[in-house]
Amino acid sequence: MADPARTKEEERKGIAVYLCSCRNEIGRHVDLEAIAEGLKKDPRVVTVGVHEALCSNEGQEYLKDELRSKKFERVAVGACSPNIQGLIVSRALEEEGMNRYLFEQVNIREQCAWVHPEKKEATRKAKSLVKSAIARAEKLQPLEDIIIPIKDSTLIIGGGVSGMQAALDIAAAGYKVYLVERTDELGGRTYKLSMTFPTHNCGICCIQYCRECVFTPKIEDVLQDKNIEVMLNSEVEEMTGGFGARHVRIKTPKGPREVDVGTIIVATGSKTFDPKRIPELRYGHPNVISTTELEQILVAQREKGGGIRRPLDGKVPKTVNFIQCVGSRDKTKGNAHCSLVCCTYAIGQAREIKKINPDAAVYIHYIDLRGPYRGFEEFYNAAKEEGINFVRGRVSEVVVDKDKTYVRAADTDSDTLLNIDSDLIVLAVGQEPADGSDQIAKILHIQTDIDRFMKDINPMFPSEFRRGIYVAGTAQGPKGIRYSIEEAKSAAASAIDLMKKGKTKFPRIVAFVDEERCRGCGRCEKTCEYEAITVVPDPKRGVLVSRIDEIRCEGCGACAVACCNKAIKVNGYRLEQVEAMVTELSEEEVTSDE
Amino acid sequence: MSEKKYQPKIIVFACTWCGYPAATLAGVHKTKYPSNVRIVRVMCTGSVEPGIIMDAFESGTDGVMVVGCQLDNCHYLTGNKKAQERIDALKRLFDIVGLDSRRLRTEWLNASEGAKFVRSVNEFVEDVRALGPLEIERKKAKKARSKDQTLAAVKQLIEDTGAFDCVECGKCTTVCPVAKWDPEFAPRTIVLRSMEGIVDNIARDKDIWMCTTCEQCNAMCPYKVDYSGFIRGMREEASDLGAAPSCSQGGLIHATQRIMAKSGLKQKRLDWVKGDMKVAEKGDVFYFVGCLPHYDAIFYDRQDMKLLDIAESAVRIMNKAGVVPVVSNEEKCCGHDLNWIGDEDDFEKLMDRNLDLIRKSGAKTVVFTCPECYRTFNTDYQDLAGDLEFKFVHISDYVKELVDSGALKMEAGKKPGFTFSYHDSCRLGRHSGVYDSPRELAKAFSGAKFVEMENTKDKAICCAVSAWSNCNANAKRIQIERVMEAKKVGADRLLMFCPKCQIHFKCAVQDKVPVDPAMVNVKLEDFTVALAKLLELMPEEEKAKGNP
Repeated sequence: MADPARTKEEERKGIAVYLCSCRNEIGRHVDLEAIAEGLKKDPRVVTVGVHEALCSNEGQEYLKDELRSKKFERVAVGACSPNIQGLIVSRALEEEGMNRYLFEQVNIREQCAWVHPEKKEATRKAKSLVKSAIARAEKLQPLEDIIIPIKDSTLIIGGGVSGMQAALDIAAAGYKVYLVERTDELGGRTYKLSMTFPTHNCGICCIQYCRECVFTPKIEDVLQDKNIEVMLNSEVEEMTGGFGARHVRIKTPKGPREVDVGTIIVATGSKTFDPKRIPELRYGHPNVISTTELEQILVAQREKGGGIRRPLDGKVPKTVNFIQCVGSRDKTKGNAHCSLVCCTYAIGQAREIKKINPDAAVYIHYIDLRGPYRGFEEFYNAAKEEGINFVRGRVSEVVVDKDKTYVRAADTDSDTLLNIDSDLIVLAVGQEPADGSDQIAKILHIQTDIDRFMKDINPMFPSEFRRGIYVAGTAQGPKGIRYSIEEAKSAAASAIDLMKKGKTKFPRIVAFVDEERCRGCGRCEKTCEYEAITVVPDPKRGVLVSRIDEIRCEGCGACAVACCNKAIKVNGYRLEQVEAMVTELSEEEVTSDE
Repeated sequence: MSEKKYQPKIIVFACTWCGYPAATLAGVHKTKYPSNVRIVRVMCTGSVEPGIIMDAFESGTDGVMVVGCQLDNCHYLTGNKKAQERIDALKRLFDIVGLDSRRLRTEWLNASEGAKFVRSVNEFVEDVRALGPLEIERKKAKKARSKDQTLAAVKQLIEDTGAFDCVECGKCTTVCPVAKWDPEFAPRTIVLRSMEGIVDNIARDKDIWMCTTCEQCNAMCPYKVDYSGFIRGMREEASDLGAAPSCSQGGLIHATQRIMAKSGLKQKRLDWVKGDMKVAEKGDVFYFVGCLPHYDAIFYDRQDMKLLDIAESAVRIMNKAGVVPVVSNEEKCCGHDLNWIGDEDDFEKLMDRNLDLIRKSGAKTVVFTCPECYRTFNTDYQDLAGDLEFKFVHISDYVKELVDSGALKMEAGKKPGFTFSYHDSCRLGRHSGVYDSPRELAKAFSGAKFVEMENTKDKAICCAVSAWSNCNANAKRIQIERVMEAKKVGADRLLMFCPKCQIHFKCAVQDKVPVDPAMVNVKLEDFTVALAKLLELMPEEEKAKGNP
């Protein structure tokens, strides 16, 4: 006997159309009943239903009922965005046994009801969109999801505070971690800080630079964890393989090392802006230093005592000027973005100077003070009370006159121009992606943003699923230590979750080759950003053919267009599927005045 | 009411990651925009086929917009840049069709830029509205055909092409280049199937599209069966039943040609004419350039594909002989490809427009560089329209005449110093019988050595693709074999007249080849261009890299 479920499937034919009124959000502007009436005459359409809210519980039940009681094979929906609620609607049908690849939804809310107030026009457009969904649904093909096994090990790139935190969390969950760091020590930039916000105390991992450490020395934890293999002075050179099983080649001082991992966390961090790029700030003069150099001075003073002395002549500086936003918030002189942490750390440093040398006159020249952190306001107020001068306005230049240095600045609050004789000038340098981060992004196929930091798939959700590759810490953008750690923990949690399941389902919206049409020219191989395509000889026919690794394929379709004989198609976006939609939309008669 | 305005129909291809969400955001903010804008979601703008864009115009769209992520910020890393490149190239193709490039626009934005989306759409709608309606005849619905009608038509076809005379000797299969690499393919069996009245599967029959129509079989058949004519007819039947060839280039080329047939848009086809070249609007000699030289715009990413050099060379050679040819912006596609995919309607429209144009120019002689155009005018137009009052001449014959009459002097004896062979394109050789002039001219390349390949003249192997219908691995094999033939006889250059052959051969030997790359290391060049270079009318390009 044949499988009854199967025979049932075989009988299914035609397209069911469902229109969602979205609790009258759509219904108010689009005459759904009229559209439904018109579609009933369409020979491709088996049934048409209008519902109040398809994505609601009742709506989902309604769809399941329909699927149980009627014999349609495919579904076309006119509702809201298929990228959002569309997923809920198709999932409901899938739960009832429908192949979700036979589902098409067009947006008649954001693209019709909400933007075309004239009901007639909105209705006409909605009708044509729904018809295009039907045209496409007719051409869709049933598919199965890809099941992808996930290897139970992680590669972490970058041994700064984010990388170390992620390593510790993942190792604690029992997975093997390879931690690759390009310098000769762990700890990253945090390691070199004399103190951190908001405790105004030392950094979390300083065991060398600062004797006052109150945190657990994380570096030691990492080095001692048996699940973590640390590779210093090492760099990731190449990644092959796909989602769930990536093969990574690492250049280490002992020679190349190859590891297989299921997940990757990128914590390559950031670097500070090079103030030489703004010549008028006279960086290079001994009296002009960056905040990172001031950190070294502060660390030295902690370790050896002797107060804060300026590099030029070892004198205690009486007037100190901090210049904010060096390299930040000004595209013409550096970067457009705000580096987020500089206000906070400059205030911290200013307070430290004032604490050691209460007589010093300390100025902070700022555009806006930005410290979107809990406790910042109190920190700032304390600094004001301690007598630090906050001057709103840009610094035009630093002037060097014999052995003196002057800061030329505007005070926009009092509308005066200042020329301050300054013993020490501190440039609050902003953050940029770390050296080599472009390279890493390229190797791992991570999209970078306009500011060259790595981009989130969804800016609202940290550590969003990116095929087992996550970005944490300042590699994603400037941020404070606490936030870097948060991201690291969230990335680690996502990676652990994925590895714990051992496998994952992935939509089969990927490219495939029709070998009968393939001419083996290799243009697809060249165009693929994900190295998912290889051209191999077919010895039987004596020709070359293209093969696509569907786990590596991201489904972008670049190869399908590059293919001159259209041997490559992308599931769900085949030429004929898109064409059907376009033709339906183009052929509709648009009259000038209805 | 102000709504009486003409409403252009706009299709927007929006990527899943930025374009589509931006449109959604515009909706969330309830920002009004014209309702004649229709959005089609694609994964990435890099996946938008130029063929589909052309299709949209053909089916009634007035403007197409492609909206994706900001250029340095593609979700798929470089998809949008590829799209931009492709669209820039497509706009060049627009010129020869007469589509205004302002009808195609790209916009790169962030998912959060709903306002920018609306602004851009509004601007675009106004721009397209200002351009006015795009007047292209609509596709007509295919008239339904009964099985009997098809049967009758096929029967007639069998009669017309002499297929009844087939004795199943199989000689056709032995010479068929397709059959050589695809053992399941045999010209004879296609005829056989139809003779047995099996017409149900015409629409699905792949074999009729695999045939290259090169007429090797015709030449070999002892009973003179017109196989390629038969195939052409079968394609017409198949397309009447709704079949379409699964095209290379995603249907772009055929759509382009159909638009030319169905519209009288103002074309821009003479950008290649340089200031020092002499051309006329009226005169005795009409130089019919054809579309192929303009297909640089389609094959923009191939190495050293400079097809427009052919047109320039031809005019410079004629100028040198004192001939000022007529060239026209209004020239249409000759219809060769549409004819060979069975689109009789559009083919005839193109023919009428072209003949009309030539009549208006007052020309008595029409010169062709493209073998396909030549065959189409000389054979197909005259078959349909009866004997025409013009003389159709291929450039090889024409130049030969000029040399013979003393109008053109081949100042040879200098440079070349290469060994070359000549490829007889099927449309020029077997289809039109032009074998001698090219060889006569080849002698003028003194200093250079001319060698014949093993398969030559009426036995020449073709470039393996008919009317862009399917260019698969077997086709590539045929192409590579042909180039290897040249190498085998010691040629380091292979000259040919047909731009299509050039496109196919170049494509086959570039990138990956299933043989030792040294075996196909042959410089592929157009004959007309080579002639012009010999006469120092065109610059010899910098020494090709890596050519031993």
